[in-house]
Formats: sequence, C-alpha cells, structure tokens
Amino acid sequence: APGPGPVLGPGQVQGSQFFVPGEKQAPAFGQPVPAYQQGLQPLAGQPLQPNMNQLAGQMGAMNVGGGGGYGFNNQGPMLSTVALMGAAPKILDLDAPPPPINLPATASITQSPHANCDPSYKRSTLNAIPATSQLLTKSRLPFGLVITPYRSVKEGDDPVPVVTDSIIARCRRCRTYINPFVKFVEGGQRWKCNMCYTLNEVPSSFDYDSQTQQPVDRWQRKELNHAVVEYIAPTEYMVRPPQPLVYLFLIDVSYPAIQCGMVATAATTILESLDRIPNDEGRTKVGIITVDSSIHFYNLGAESGEPQMLVVSDLEDPFLPQPNDLLCNLSDCRSTLEALLNRLNDMFKDTQNVGNALGPALQSAYKLISPIGGKILCLQASLPNLEVGALKMREDPKLLGTSKESTLLQSASSFYKTFAVDCSKSQVCVDMFLFGSQYTDVATLSCLPRFTGGSTFFYPAFTAAKSEDALKFAHELAEFVSQRIALEAVMRVRASKGLKMSAFYGNFFVRSTDLLSLPNVPRDQSYSIEVSYEDNLSIPIVCFQTALLHTSSSGERRIRVLTLAVPVTTSLSELYMSADQVAISTLLACKAVERGMNSKLDDARDALTNKCVDILGVYKTHMTASSSGATPNLQICDNLKLLPLLTLGMLKHVALRGGSQIPSDLRSYAMHLFSTLPSQCLIPYIHPKFYSLHNMPEHCGTIASNGIEMPLAMNLSSERLERGGLFMLDDSQNIFLWVGRDAVPQLCMDLFGVPNYESIRGGKTTLPTLESDFNQRVNLIVGKTREMRRTSYYPQLYVIKEDGDPALRLWFLSHLIEDRAEPIMSYYQYLGHLKDRVNASSF
Amino acid sequence: MNFEEIEDQDGIRFSFNAWPASRLDATRTVVPIAALYTPLKEREDLPLIYYEPVTCKQHTCGAILNPYCQIDPRGKLWICPFCLHRNQFPPHYRDISNTNLPAELLAKHTTIEYTLARSAQVPPIFLYVVDTCVDEDDLKALKDSLVVSLSLLPPHALVGLITYGTMTQVHELGYSECPKSYVFRGNKDYTCKQIQEMLGLTALANRPQQPVRPGQPAPFVPSGNSRFLLPIQQCEYTLSSILEQLQRDPWPVATDKRPQRCTGVAMSVAVGLLEATYQNNGGRVMLFVGGAATEGPGMVVGTDLKEPLRSHHDIEKENVKHYKKASKFYEGLAKRASTNGHVVDIFAGCLDQVGLLEMKSMVNSTGGIMVLSDSFTTLIFKQSFQKMFEKDTEGHLKMGFNATLAVQTTKELKICGLIGHAVSSNKKTASVGETEIGIGNTSAWKMCGVTPKTTNGIYFEVVNQQGQVLQPGSRGLIQFVTHYQHSSGHFKLRVTTVARSWAEGNNPVIAQSFDQETAAVLMARIAVFKAEIDDGPDVLRWLDRMLIRLCQKFAEYRKDEPQSFRLSENFSIYPQFMFHLRRSQFLQVFNNSPDETAYNRYVLNREDVNNSLIMIQPTLMSYGFEGEPQPVLLDSVSVKPDSILLLDTFFYILIFHGETIAAWRKAGYQDQPGYENFKELLEAPVVNSQELLTERFPIPRYIVCDQNGSQARFLLSKLNPSTTHVSGGQYGAAPSGQAIFTDDVSLQVFMEHLKKLAVSGTS
Ligand SMILES: [Zn+2]
Ligand SMILES: [Zn+2]
Repeated sequence: APGPGPVLGPGQVQGSQFFVPGEKQAPAFGQPVPAYQQGLQPLAGQPLQPNMNQLAGQMGAMNVGGGGGYGFNNQGPMLSTVALMGAAPKILDLDAPPPPINLPATASITQSPHANCDPSYKRSTLNAIPATSQLLTKSRLPFGLVITPYRSVKEGDDPVPVVTDSIIARCRRCRTYINPFVKFVEGGQRWKCNMCYTLNEVPSSFDYDSQTQQPVDRWQRKELNHAVVEYIAPTEYMVRPPQPLVYLFLIDVSYPAIQCGMVATAATTILESLDRIPNDEGRTKVGIITVDSSIHFYNLGAESGEPQMLVVSDLEDPFLPQPNDLLCNLSDCRSTLEALLNRLNDMFKDTQNVGNALGPALQSAYKLISPIGGKILCLQASLPNLEVGALKMREDPKLLGTSKESTLLQSASSFYKTFAVDCSKSQVCVDMFLFGSQYTDVATLSCLPRFTGGSTFFYPAFTAAKSEDALKFAHELAEFVSQRIALEAVMRVRASKGLKMSAFYGNFFVRSTDLLSLPNVPRDQSYSIEVSYEDNLSIPIVCFQTALLHTSSSGERRIRVLTLAVPVTTSLSELYMSADQVAISTLLACKAVERGMNSKLDDARDALTNKCVDILGVYKTHMTASSSGATPNLQICDNLKLLPLLTLGMLKHVALRGGSQIPSDLRSYAMHLFSTLPSQCLIPYIHPKFYSLHNMPEHCGTIASNGIEMPLAMNLSSERLERGGLFMLDDSQNIFLWVGRDAVPQLCMDLFGVPNYESIRGGKTTLPTLESDFNQRVNLIVGKTREMRRTSYYPQLYVIKEDGDPALRLWFLSHLIEDRAEPIMSYYQYLGHLKDRVNASSF
Repeated sequence: MNFEEIEDQDGIRFSFNAWPASRLDATRTVVPIAALYTPLKEREDLPLIYYEPVTCKQHTCGAILNPYCQIDPRGKLWICPFCLHRNQFPPHYRDISNTNLPAELLAKHTTIEYTLARSAQVPPIFLYVVDTCVDEDDLKALKDSLVVSLSLLPPHALVGLITYGTMTQVHELGYSECPKSYVFRGNKDYTCKQIQEMLGLTALANRPQQPVRPGQPAPFVPSGNSRFLLPIQQCEYTLSSILEQLQRDPWPVATDKRPQRCTGVAMSVAVGLLEATYQNNGGRVMLFVGGAATEGPGMVVGTDLKEPLRSHHDIEKENVKHYKKASKFYEGLAKRASTNGHVVDIFAGCLDQVGLLEMKSMVNSTGGIMVLSDSFTTLIFKQSFQKMFEKDTEGHLKMGFNATLAVQTTKELKICGLIGHAVSSNKKTASVGETEIGIGNTSAWKMCGVTPKTTNGIYFEVVNQQGQVLQPGSRGLIQFVTHYQHSSGHFKLRVTTVARSWAEGNNPVIAQSFDQETAAVLMARIAVFKAEIDDGPDVLRWLDRMLIRLCQKFAEYRKDEPQSFRLSENFSIYPQFMFHLRRSQFLQVFNNSPDETAYNRYVLNREDVNNSLIMIQPTLMSYGFEGEPQPVLLDSVSVKPDSILLLDTFFYILIFHGETIAAWRKAGYQDQPGYENFKELLEAPVVNSQELLTERFPIPRYIVCDQNGSQARFLLSKLNPSTTHVSGGQYGAAPSGQAIFTDDVSLQVFMEHLKKLAVSGTS
C-alpha cells in the first residue's frame, strides 16, 4: 500500500488551478490543506484542465430555472461549427441555457422581459421553426415541445402571476388566450389573435373598471406581460364545483409488506405528514384501505374516536362496507386517523398472509372516491396474486437481451389499463409506490400512474431496517403528499395555424385528439409533445400556447397558460443554430422508450443512433465544406455538440442498454423516469455529474452568496479516477461516493470517521456528521445535490469502494459513459462509428 | 290411575295407559297409543347417578338396565326385557342382591339420570345475530338487553357477535387493536365454503400463492375459534363496548322503501361460522330480528313498501313471490344447523311480520326458542329473553345442548314417529314401525336444544297380530334414553322406562285408561302437523271423523237415538277440546298473520299437556263480590256486568271488567273509603295474573280491558258463542250474557251434531 506521506514533486500540485481567481487560497483558520486534497498521482491520463469558458458556463448554470430565461437576442446569427473528435466533450455546456430565441424587440406588445416562456416551463426542440415541413424533413431535426406546466416554485423563484378579476379574453375562433404576442388594432379596440389572426373585441374592462368606476391601464395586465400566467376561472370552466383534495392510501399489508418494514415506515410518515397535506380550506379528505387476501376499510367517523376496521373478503365482487365515514374530512377525523396510523403496523405485525388482492382493492378504492375523484396512493410490496389483476412472476432471464425482452416491459394484464381509463374518466389518479424484494412487475403496475397523471416510485430490495431505505421512502412520500398538486385537469396545446400536436408522451390519458386528461397534476412532471405540419408557415413568428385547466389544491378553478413564441425561419443554418440539444434529447428519450416498449429495444437504440447519424450527416452535407466525400472528423454546430454524448448516454442507460443483465423491473422504472422527468433531472440521469472531491478547491462545499459552491463536473471517464481519490457521481436518482483503494487514513478519518480504507463500509450509507472541514463540505455538497433540482425524488447515497462489492463497482462504472463498456463502444469509438455511418451515406 | 303423578315422576303421559293387544284392536281405539314426554322434566327428587349405565350387550339392542329387568343376583345376570338377552353384570356389581340393588333397579326409579364421565371439550356457544335496521328506541332497548344477557351467561361460555342490516358484519372479538369486523354483501348467496374462506377459517384462504422464501416460517392460519368466539369472561368488555356503540344501519332508506335487511345472509354466515369452528359442540345462534328480510337469499318481501307482506290468502292462492324460495333457503340452513348440533333462536321485535313463517324451520328443527313481540322495548321481549337464561339451583343454565332422544320398545310395539322440535337421527332399529306419524322411520331424534319444558309427542303402533295369546299380566315396555350436553359441560343420560299392561280389545280397562287431556293434545299435534302440509278443511274433516269414530267406539248409546248418547267421565270433555281445537288459531288461520300461525304452532309443539290444553281451550276465571273466584265456562254466558273475568289463553292473559265494574272503576270508587272490597276485587285478578306471568315462557301478552272496549275482542273470540247476535234469548227474552257476533256454531250445536252422527248406523 502506498504511504500516506505527501511525496509531491513540483508541478504536481494541481489544486490551485481549480480556484476561482481572486478567492483566497490559504486554508481557512490556519488549517493545513490535507495531503489528499492536494492531488495524488492520477491513475492514468492527465488531470482535468478546465478553461475559463467552462467556468463561466458553470457559473451561468447556477441559476437554472430562476432568471435564466431566454431574453431577446438581436445579434445576427453566427453558426459556429465544432469538431467532435479529438477532444473531450465540453460537458459543462450541458448546463448552458438553450439557444436564444431571436425575436424582434417588437414581437411582444408589452416588450416585457417575461413575455416569452421560461424553458423550465416549456421549451421547444427548435428555437427557430422551419417555415415548411420540407425544411424540417431536410434538417432531420426532431420537432417537439417539452412542457413542465406545473413545475414547483421554490424559494427565490418568481411565482406565477394570477389574473384575479375573472376577465378572460380568448380568441372567439381558435380559443387562444390573449397573450403578449397578440396585436392591438383599430386603435386598441380589437386584438388580433396570433394563432389564427382573427380579430376579437378587447373587453372594455381592460381599460375601465366598472366596479370602481376608474379607468385602468391595460398594459399592466399580467396576461399581456407574462408568458406564464394563471386565471381564476369562472363557473363556465366548471363541470361541477371544484372538488376537494382526496388522499386515499391503499396499503399492502401482506407478509412481505410488513416484513420489509414498508407499512411501519409508511404509517409513521403519513402520520408525521398530516400537517403538510394541503388543506387550506379544511376540505381535504383522507381515507385508508389496507389489503392482503382481504380488503380492510377503516371507519374514521366513529363517535368513540376509535378507528373501526371493516374487512371485505369478497374479492369476486368487492363492495363498500358502509356508505360513509370511510373517507373523512382530514380536520374532522384527525384524532381517529392518528390513532389508526399509530397502530397500523401493530395490527398486522404477526401476519403470515402472503395473499394480495390489489385489483379488487383498487376497485373498492375507486368505488369509494370516484364520486369526488382524487388520489389513490398505492403502496405495494408484493406481487398481486388474487382475483382480478393478479400477476405472475414472469421475469425470464432467457428473454433478457433478446427481441422478446419488450414483452416483459409491456403490461401483463389488461385490467390495469382498463381500470386506469375508468379512473381518468372519474378524475381519479393512482400513484404507485412499489417495493420489491422480488419481482414486482413495475411494467404492469406503472400503467396506473401512466394513464391517470400519477407518479411511480420504486424501491427495489427495500428494507426499512436499513435506515437509508426508510429515510428515502419517508422523504419521498412526505414530499409527495405535501405537494400542492392540481386536480381535475385537462391540458391542451394550441399552436399557430399550420402546426398540430401529433404525439404525446408522459403520464396522462388522451381524451379526444389533443386533449390530455390529468386527474392529478403532480409537481415537476414533464410531458413531451411532437409537433407536425398541417400547412407551410407564412408568418414570422409561431406561438405555442398550453392551457392547463385545473383545480388548485386550495379549491380554486384555475387556468394556467404558458405561451411560447418562436421565430420562423427558412434557413437550414438558422434552424441548426437554434436547435436545443437538451430538449431534443428529452423528446428522443420519450420516443425511444415508447419504441422499446411497443417494438424492440434494438429498434429503439437503432433509432437513436440513426437520428444522430442523420443530423450529423445533414449538417456535414449542407453546413460544412466537406459536403460530399469522407470527412476526417465529425462536425456539428456548437449548440448540438453534446447530442452524440447524450445519445450514447441513453444507449448505455439502464432504460435502453442492451444485454441480458438488466432486470425488467429496473428497466421499466428507468423507462418511466425517461418519459416523465423534466430535462433538469433527465439530463443528469442520462449524463451524471461527476466530481473529484479529494482535491476540490477549498471554496467548494462552502456557502457562498449564491448558495453552496459545487465543484466542477468532469467528463464521465474512468481516466479521471485516482487510486487515492474520492469521487462523487450524481445521476439525480442516486449519489455515489467512489473511494480509491489507496485513500489515505486521514481522508477516511476526516470523511467517514474511520481509521483507514479497510474500515469504510461500502453500499447504501449515510455520511456521518463530523467536526472535520472536509466532512462538512462533502455533506454540504451531498445535501445540495439532493435539493438543487425540482423533484421529490431523494437520491440515495452509496459508498463504492474501488475493490469492494463487484456489483456495486460495476454499477458505478456503468455511469462512466465515455469509457468502453463491453459490448458498448466508448465515446470515441462511438464517434468513429457515427463518422463511418455519415461517410457511408448521403443526406 | 293418577296421570299427573306419573307425569311428575316420569315426565310422561299416555293417551291410553292400557294397550289393546292386537293391531286390529289398536286401530279400533282411534286415538293412537302415544305419549307426551318431557325428557328433561324438572324433578326435585330425581335420582342422580355418577357412574356409567349398564347396557344390554346384545349388539343391536343396547337397552339400559332398569327396574323392569329380571335379575339373577346369584348368577350375576340380568335379562334384557327388550331383546331377552342374558347379560352378565359388570364386575363391580358383584355384591348385588335383592336387598342390595343399585339405584337403577329400584322400582321407584323408572326415571333416572346418569352424569357421564365424559364431558364436553367446548363450553356452550352463544352467537348473537343482531338486526340494526330498527329504530333508535328499539336498538337502544335491544342493546341494553343484550348487554345484560352477557352477565347472565356462564363465564366460560363462548360468545360471538354478528350484526346486520344492508350487509352482514362478523365481529372479530379476539382482535385487540381496534373494533374489527368482516363484512358480507347482503344480497349475495354465499356458499358455506366461501363464508369460511372469507372469514379465514379454512387453510385455503391464506394459503401462499407465491413462494415463501426458505428460512421463513410457513404461513400459519390463526384458528377462527379464537378470533370470533371467545369466552365471555375474556371478551365481555370488548363485546359490551361494541354493543354499546352499535349504530343503526348506516345505509339510506327512501321514504317509500323498507330498509335493506339481509337476515338470510346473516343467518347463513352465522350457521357457517359455527359449522366451521365448532361442529357438534353445543351452541346457539340467537337471532334478534326487527323486520322482514328484504334483501338477498331468504328475503320475504321486496324493499318497496307498495309490495305488502304475504298473507294466508296470498299463500293459499299461490300469489307469493318469495315464500317458497325463502322457506327453502331457511330449511337448508335449518338442516345444516341441526346436523352440526347448533340451536337457532328467533327473537322478533316488530309490529309487522318478520318472516317467521319462512324462518320457522330453523327453530323447529333445532329445538330453539321463538319469541314474538311488537318491539324490543316490550316486556314480552325483555323478560322472555332474560328468562331464557334462568339457572338451576346449582347455577347452571336450564338448557341442554345437542340432545338425542332414542326410544326402544318391546317387540309388540313399534314407533310411528315424533311430533316436536327435533330432526330424525335416521336410526333404523327393530323398534321402528311402518306407519308414519310426524318425523318417522327412525327410533331416535336429535334436539340441538332442549329445555326442561321441551315436550315431544311420540306415537306408537301395536304390531301384534290378532289371536296371538298374551301372557296374563304381560306388559309392553318403552325405554326413552336422552343423551345431552348439560350447560355445566357434563354429558348426561336421562333414562325413562315405562311399562303398560296389554289388554284384550273388549276389555273395559282400555277405556278406563284413556287420558282425554293427553289424547286431545296428541291429536292436536297431529292435526297441526297435517295442517302444515294439507288444506285446512281436510284437517278439520279428519278431526271430526276421528272424534265421531272415538265416540262410536267408547260412548254408550242406542243406535239412531241421539238422546241415548252418554260418554263416561274420562271421555266427557274430549269433544269439547276438539270443538275448541277446531276453532283455535292453530287450525283457523285466517284471522292471524302467517307469522302468528307459525309462532302459535311452534308453541303448541313444545309445551306439556296442561299448557297445551290452555292453548286449545283457554281457562276463564270469574271474580265477583260473592265468594271465591271460580272457573267458569268459556262461554258467552259467563260475561256479566258485575264480575271480572280472567282469561288465560297461554299466549295472553286478559282481565276483563264487566260494564258495571268498569263504570265504578272509572268513577274511582276503589280509592274511596268504604269501598275496600271493591278495591280488593279489582286487585285479585291482577295478583293472580302476575303469578301466571312469572312462570310462563315466553312471557304472555297482558291485556286489561273493559266490556265493550276495543280490546274485549280478544276475550270474545275465545268464548263459545252460545248466545250470538242471531240466537236471541229464549222465548223472546233478552239474551243473558254477551252476544257474540259470529256465524260459528256453538258448542251446544256441535254436540248435537256429534251425537247424531255417532249414533247413526251408517258411518
Ligand atoms: Zn385565434
Ligand atoms: Zn337387549
């Protein structure tokens, strides 16, 4: 083993190069910089040499989703082509803002800085829209929208402005909501719709308040200044009065569910979250159903304040055992509910019942809440095995890696989809929390959230005995039930004449051709929509308007309107220059998942590579000097330079990777995340953040004015790993700490509080909180990683020892996508492959 | 011969106490040889034996050693009187001698009770099945009664609770975390297997369908016994609090609807629960029902109030939708309950019918208790229900469980059948005869429930052929052996062995041995049994024919001279019993609801001779200023303005104030000084009626009324209409007594007809 001593030659001290100029370099409070932070001999290759551009890029990315909007850029277009091969991909640009939307300053009537839509709510794959479908076809670029209409608003974010006066101006022809991109004509008497160009009367109340009998300034109206705006809807927008929030917990209490500790953790978490469940108006309703081979209802309305358990074992023909009190007002039944949650686990602690009748239980739950609608939170730790909806252990290792693998990714039972469609009609949403020590059939059970606007959470090998497992689940469940969700929602996207929404990806049910039905709209779920042409565009600016009619968790009927305006172009170069590689990858991920499920995984992967080849080929043919003949290097515009890397990331991802090693449950879950994660989480999921911690600059992991300073992300290559180093990798679902085998005792002591490398325990872990500066900084970095994205997922921390558990080690290394990982190519090999394909075809 | 003394000793009364020696002679005596036997009749001096009985070792016999056995003390032998087998006494009888006889051989011990060494493994079970579709007051009263009853149960008794309304709930009393119940749909016909699976009473319900990982314990099925049925001392608190918090059925009921009440499913679940957990252990399902079943299997009427409950007329015209289906359903449950050894009791608390007609088989087949009251708030319900838990001097409930009554006869006599609350045990011994009366083709019957009052009618036939010479003084023997689970848990064996002399057909001793009271009750039971199957008029014709034939056989008369007709004393009131029986509610059903008929007939089939006679011919006492109160004729002539009548029909006790008495009472004379004797007069029948009320089960309805008051109809309907609105007074004088508005014939007219027919040569 190498000695711990600082045997360093000149020039090997690389640490100082990470420091931002001007910041203090001396260790704080006279502490010496520990040797392990001074950069040991790398395993291979050279340490990263970050340039100032990357730094700037990263700094710019610090306020993702905050004020990082598009703004208006009137600079002339400049196509900058970069060569892909021969240099490491500039991964820091993954956090760069999308290409600017170059609208003329007069495009919006108010010229408000908020007139166009923030990409965190809605982004287009193309920030200049081809004027003709021919141009789009020629470009081979995917055309679509990535919409996260109900993204969470964190502290410091601008809230969505609300139009409270019930004056809703809409185009009488195409029903577009008035927005900053309409035009006032005829002396401001009428407005011209920017979708269909119909003239509409301007409501007189825009200028004169009849109640106060005062003139008002129409230019102050929020809907004319903001791309994202919310209206309080009058009764015309209601089929019925806004319904209260309903949380019906459907909890598996069979032997596996009790045994793994799910029930105990769930009960405690729900109990502790009761105050966080949105209940502004005191109307929120809660119910609990538990299920094993029987369905257990709980009367929460008993005068005694004691919950009463009502068991229905008639699974053929499930029914509600009583007409009321099974679903209770949260405030009224609070003490009964607490009493129940306090003893819920004890009620079943001695169970030996391995039956689970999820299907009949769902039917009962549906009967209970369908008159109101609401949320069924389904906590399932065993494979349903009784009556309707019973599932079999169908995992077949022989099928994995073959063309038949997709059958395992499809639903095994028609019950769930049919049931989900019924739920959708009754405004019932089903969320799935899946726990499995064995096969769980995520593919089938995630159907329910998919068609009802729900969410799926998956906890493979869950055991509450492991505090990390319990914590993750508890955190996610608590966050989830505290979300101020929307309910009874429908979403429609309108576009300027000539364009239509042609394919939809995400969790919802498509009612009529383009109306998405969402019984619940959870926070931060993303929907991707492919756009196609009905006609050529003869207009300079195209508009996409998303309207989400919903009931807020405070019981108001509201319409959230997101308006995005994008210029039209006839130029292929402008088109390429405006392409958003992040949005493109998000859309392609959805399409690949759909392909993989409905057809074959091979097809999905081929399609991804083909798309890359096409784009590179078109670019080479039409945008570069080497338009014909073989090119020695691949070239692409700067804004698409990471597309091949992201594509490779997808090909190597659990969701799509080939081979026979990926259990269907894990794959199905990853696919679910592919089609629902907003770009902010999806991109790191495909291309994780990789940091070197042992030698990070001193300010990293400290609190600066704009929050906790993060180290710079590195390329995903094992070349970066050092024998004595500590590395962190974050894919937005998990956080890995890689400890090199030569990690010095001081590092082990400072970070883990153990004397040496041998004493470090690998696997799921919770970092101790120690006095050491290093421990505190790493803890802050881990903490920041867990909260910096808009998501209720709580990434779990794994310690990977270089010579530890081979499975964990392989799992970690599989994220280093620039490496070759048999049989999948390294990044460089992949580029070579793409080049060969490009050179072999004509575009 | 004192029939009542014999009854006191052996609990038995025969129609004839000397038996015609041949089949033909027996046929001519018209009324069959039959007995009313009260197997568990209470007797203070009952010999109690704490050793096992000695039985005949002849393999098909098994008769028990009794005072009629011939013994050979020297040879230590006894001869079985039924099969004539010579049995060795067991070794511990070696000291036997004519002066040292075991109790069972003593002549006075014709009835004896053995307490067997074996005792029941499981204490008696009480499963409450409670209707919650009743109004608040009723539910409150019912809950109170039920809670009180818990304290009346032996502490080790097992209890369970099922409540029902739109649905059926089985309460898991053994669950400590919170009140827990299993719910069944009210409109579904669950099979027994389904019920048991749904309650988790079969291994099948919880059998693993996914592999259990090695090293984990194999799935274990908790015993249903410990979950739903628990010793009262262990669960009294839980059960009381469930009962106290019991709410009315929560499902909404439209104003034009009846509540949805799934009595059928509730009973099906109850029977299934006991079947799965305690087969052949003594127990009872006690149903408290507050209205007609309107849902699911066993429904007797729809929920629509426009649809009336079936009447006798509807049934006669076969204009009934649910009657047959429901009856069949409950008969199925009755069969299962009786097979499993479980009693079903029905306590009805409803002004309207609850479907007793359809449900009666459950009670009748299992020896259960039926109490019909207008509401659970009535004393009839409250006191009858409490009385059910009466205890003997040792503190044990006066109820036996899972009893079998086996009858053995000497070869001249065979068994025709039993009429009472029992089912056949299908025991075909040599004692079984060819003729069937009641439940026949067996020599043993099962009574899941038996009380000291339970009285069965058992019918025999003589099979001796004419001309077979009888030894002088020879006797026929019948042994009744009742094996039952005493509420103390001990199994007991009550043995009654009776002997009666044979007599030649013409021997007057036969007529002299006639017990007209017993005969009337036995004939009444046959008539009611027939009426359940046959048309009413057919039964009446049969009764008339039998009466005429009996008179022809036993009366003295000259042919075709009605005025010469004479009946001896022990036949004299028999025609009168038949007259009243003919017009009783047991056979004239149209003034009653089908439920009342079912109830009345149920009661007749369980009571002893005296009580049955009161039902057939109510007693009437008259209280006046002169002399002691005295029994008077059940006749309209007994109604007098200045007397008080006390009528006892067994079902109700009525105090009737004559016009004058009523007027004085209303004027308040009884409260004035100087009218103490009037006050005493008013009080005397009340005191007497209280005595009757306390000893009777179920508690009779108690009515106080005045002449010409509306309730007076209860009296008038029972009186012989010797003076009717058409008869008028003799010689145009005003009629004496109370005129009764009826077209019925009076006893006098009936007797005239009887005499005429009896003496006519043609019949
Ligand atoms: Zn328009
Ligand atoms: Zn014998």
